[in-house]
Amino acid sequence: MKKIGKIIGRHVFLAILAFIWLIPVFWLVVTTFSTQKGINTNHFFPAHWTLANYHQLFFEPDSTANFPAWFKNSMIIGVFSCLVSSIFVIMTAYAFSFIEFKGRKKLMSFSLILGMFPGVLSMIAMYFILKMLGLTDSVVGLIILYSGASGLGYLILKGFFDTIPVSLHEAAKLEGASEATIFAKIVVPLSKPMIVYTVINSFLNPWMDFVMVRLMIKSKDASDWTMALGLFNLLQRALVNQYFTYFCCGGLMIAVPISILFIIMQKFYVEGVTGGAVKG
Amino acid sequence: MKKKLLSALLVSAMATSAFVGCGGAAEETTAETGSTTEESTEATEEASSEDAIANLIAATEGTVNIELWCSETEEYQTVMKERCDAFEAEYPDVDFNITIGAVSEADMKDRVLEDVEAAADVYVFPDDQLEALVKAGALNEVAAQYTYDMNETDTPATVEAGQYDGKQYGYPFTASNGYFLYYDSTQLSEEDVASWEALTAKAEELGKEVGFEVANGWYLYGIFQGAGCTLTENEDQSNNCDWNSETGLAAAESLQSIASSSAFKSYGNDDLLANLNDGKVVAYVSGTWNVNAFSEAYGDGYAATKLPTFQVNGEDKQMASYSGYKYVGVNAYAENTGWSMLLAEYLTNAETQEAVYAATGEGPSNTEALKEASSPALDALAAQSEFAELQRVGSNYWTPAESLGKNILDGKVSQEVLDDAVAGITQPVE
Amino acid sequence: MKKIGNYFKDFFTSIAKGDIWVKLSLLIMGAGYFGRKQIARGILMTLLEVGVIASIFRVFAPYMSKLSTLGTVQREEIFDPLTMQKTVNDFDNSLLILLYGIIGILVIIAFLALYIANIKTVYRLQKMQEEGEHLSTFKEDIASFKNERFHITLLTLPSIGVILINIIPILFMVGIAFTNYDENHQPPTYLFTWVGFKNFVNLFTTSQTITFGYAFVRVLVWTLIWAVLATATTFLGGILLAQFINHEDTKLKGMWRTLFVITIGIPQFVTLLLISKMFGDYGIVNTFCANVGILDFFKNIGLLNAGDAFIPFLSRPGWAHVTIILVNIWVGIPYQMLVATGILMNIPSDQIESAKIDGANKFQIFWKITMPYVMFITGPSLIQSVIANINNFNVIYLLTYNYKTTNMSMANSHATEVDLLITWLFRLTNEYSNFKMASVIGIITFIVCAALSLLTFSRMIGGDKEGVYR
Repeated sequence: MKKIGKIIGRHVFLAILAFIWLIPVFWLVVTTFSTQKGINTNHFFPAHWTLANYHQLFFEPDSTANFPAWFKNSMIIGVFSCLVSSIFVIMTAYAFSFIEFKGRKKLMSFSLILGMFPGVLSMIAMYFILKMLGLTDSVVGLIILYSGASGLGYLILKGFFDTIPVSLHEAAKLEGASEATIFAKIVVPLSKPMIVYTVINSFLNPWMDFVMVRLMIKSKDASDWTMALGLFNLLQRALVNQYFTYFCCGGLMIAVPISILFIIMQKFYVEGVTGGAVKG
Repeated sequence: MKKKLLSALLVSAMATSAFVGCGGAAEETTAETGSTTEESTEATEEASSEDAIANLIAATEGTVNIELWCSETEEYQTVMKERCDAFEAEYPDVDFNITIGAVSEADMKDRVLEDVEAAADVYVFPDDQLEALVKAGALNEVAAQYTYDMNETDTPATVEAGQYDGKQYGYPFTASNGYFLYYDSTQLSEEDVASWEALTAKAEELGKEVGFEVANGWYLYGIFQGAGCTLTENEDQSNNCDWNSETGLAAAESLQSIASSSAFKSYGNDDLLANLNDGKVVAYVSGTWNVNAFSEAYGDGYAATKLPTFQVNGEDKQMASYSGYKYVGVNAYAENTGWSMLLAEYLTNAETQEAVYAATGEGPSNTEALKEASSPALDALAAQSEFAELQRVGSNYWTPAESLGKNILDGKVSQEVLDDAVAGITQPVE
Repeated sequence: MKKIGNYFKDFFTSIAKGDIWVKLSLLIMGAGYFGRKQIARGILMTLLEVGVIASIFRVFAPYMSKLSTLGTVQREEIFDPLTMQKTVNDFDNSLLILLYGIIGILVIIAFLALYIANIKTVYRLQKMQEEGEHLSTFKEDIASFKNERFHITLLTLPSIGVILINIIPILFMVGIAFTNYDENHQPPTYLFTWVGFKNFVNLFTTSQTITFGYAFVRVLVWTLIWAVLATATTFLGGILLAQFINHEDTKLKGMWRTLFVITIGIPQFVTLLLISKMFGDYGIVNTFCANVGILDFFKNIGLLNAGDAFIPFLSRPGWAHVTIILVNIWVGIPYQMLVATGILMNIPSDQIESAKIDGANKFQIFWKITMPYVMFITGPSLIQSVIANINNFNVIYLLTYNYKTTNMSMANSHATEVDLLITWLFRLTNEYSNFKMASVIGIITFIVCAALSLLTFSRMIGGDKEGVYR
């Protein structure tokens, strides 16, 4: 009997924790159904319920709020920078893990220190570099911005590669495989979970950034913006009273694909994060 | 690099065509002045401005690209689009491509200054950003006017507020960006809204809320100015301020006692709107940007008036305010300065101002358009205008003032706090 | 020093002992290859040389020549009211001079290194030819990039990206710290110029008007406290939660995990803004606390003054600090939980079993076996997350963008008690255009991070660990 009580207590405790964690999410969800378009800090539940906000979100783009276009832009930028940065990270990690070359350690220390410089500060310089290349206001420019320095984030993946036995690598070499073949045919397939982890992480960065993108996208036509930029813009003083529910709907809609991704990838993710450090 | 070369070519091309145009114009003008020596100089000016436009049209080749940034609200975007179309129709010989971008006016300075060269050719900004924009070289001086003369058509105060260092930088656009008191006349009488003391007492009785945003230098200024203190800007953009005087201390203490009322709230805009919609707020200091929210919330009781008085050393003092204006400015780096200036003029003429008033409720700066405009909010602004001052203050004012306001709300007013605030406000500018 | 000496010694020996082709390479970089019949390589090298030199002279030279003054010609414009045309002089843009100047210097340094390496290579080729060794064909050269030079293939693109997005901006901002680039000196219209260490001196000065020194110490201390606390709380919390869910008695493990993971999916700028509204002075939490009497309770135990109408969760120092840490726990735990779950699954169970047999209780097992194991694996990444938290812009900015300080000395330097170095410098650039001070703060932040991690990282990539796992 004592045991059952303990088990129930355990689940009640978890339920309370989960409840606390989900309150803001829950508030977000109920606010999306509110008929009052402005922000309401006094009540948890809306006074009147409606689905009109979702209709507005998907079918009524106007000059300041254009969710379908934002979704498309964010998707394009997200997918491509995710691709490029994943490839960069994998390449860097592989080079640092498997290839003994001159100056490897120095390069590694150097790149680690580079990663510590506050990025917010160098935004202006990045902007003018992109301007020099004629890439401001373009999808390509943003992809470069998000994925360019991604090579610096090689550490975790390198940790994983380090656990792949050297013998495997050497055996393949004896059989005449080039480094490129080993990389493509042996290492990459072995590291799937870790690569999934890398891919998710590099997708989230452009998907959620609202600071850099504001400087980089000069266009003031709402259909050129990304999701984060557009939604964040709705919180302006002049707009928040008419677009707060729209903001909530949008926020929830971005969350849906990401959450699903996380839930499906949970298994991979758990393996991926730790696979690097734990030797099987 | 290619771009630079291209622009260099363009500039030289433009320069050449300018010289060609210039020669012709000079001849024409001399000819005209020769024949009409008797006429007033005004006529000559008018003639020459017509010539200038003719020159401009003659010198214009290809499409004229102009980008305009203005408020992101739907009403604004719509009315500006209409007016831009009308502008294009005005000059049928020229091929225009006018694009309108949505930028919050409160952020206009930040967006423009990120990269002046990439910013809009023409943009709408509030007067408190004028200094920063001029300092960064982002505004083109209004060296001449071609279709109207703002000194004749607009109220002197608005024209003056668009000047910096004696030069005109802004085309007056609206004159209603100041603040005043909204109230619900079904719950409050005119006597109630006459003074903060009466207002807070009545609100306490009703169990409702009143107030203004104390922790914000823009509003806080009204109390100290109203009490008789001074805050002025020096030539080097540092400030003069005597808020730590005896009067200043008395004013701060008076505000502290008003704010200590349970009915007094210092809401930011979000909180204000939320509580307004909940029916808690019965009177609040705000501006025309919230006119729809207040008129919806108060319905039949919707009313507005000048700011209340407050007591300093037993004397009633009228709360002062900053008057606020909006301007249309031409970017100093505009691709096509001439056409941008003409568009800015068009967007600030009487007709446009009337259209903007009709669409957004914002009060015109044009005297003729102003006659047509009447609403509770604009009347309240007019009543307050007597006590409203032009905003001329250096940038070191804002953060210390905000902090001072917070201290007053927390009930921590002391000579020391005021001394520190004044030291911050008046700190030298390098 | 000796290494550098050797580097140049080799270079000069190569020139002295090289034959005509090597010497010709001093002028035409491809010559040494032409002489050994490596035509393709020679053409590529020569083209590269022409390209780089042309770009230096045509693009960078005009800027680099002004680097010492950052420009002298201010913009002047003349508007002709009659033609409505504007003429502008050929003005200098300090910002572009600095940026292009830096890029130009980098290009020149890289080119010089390539130039010296090239001479050495062609000399080596000469020696190889003299000794009758096989000289690689162009095909073989290409193939080598898939094998012994595979690291070059792999690292080239990422390196270019890092140089473009990371190194150049860093050098640029370091440069800004030594100039007077602020709201009164904004290019393109106005010039800024070098001022030496003046900004650094200002940062460490405290007087009534210059309060950067005062604010800096406080901001730095809070930044460090925050970074350590935020990392420690989420880390510990994540492990505890993971262990709790993983316990054999817990049913529906996947569902519980999913509930927590959902919160990661919503972007921080949405959730954190909502939370900042909920905990606002007039927010829903305050309404709730006033209704159920928590407000009065706090007043009774002396946490709040009698006159306070609300709990200042995010508006008073102390309160705000605690709330920020708590909210960060909310943000960080689900993520850490995921990480910890994986680690715990791999814990060697024999150790735990034997400990149980020895009569160890749960807490002993947790502290003596689980934690050391977890620490062993995640130790290095902990330091990384401390550094990430030092630069954690989102949480602080989104929770406190409305925070107003009552501390005048803080206010005078545009800082608040809850600012991290990173949010402070963001505000300085974004709202006050004070780039010079922001850059100084950025450099200090960088030094703090680098110092913090230098020991740990040098140990981590020292090589001993790589071996352990294989």
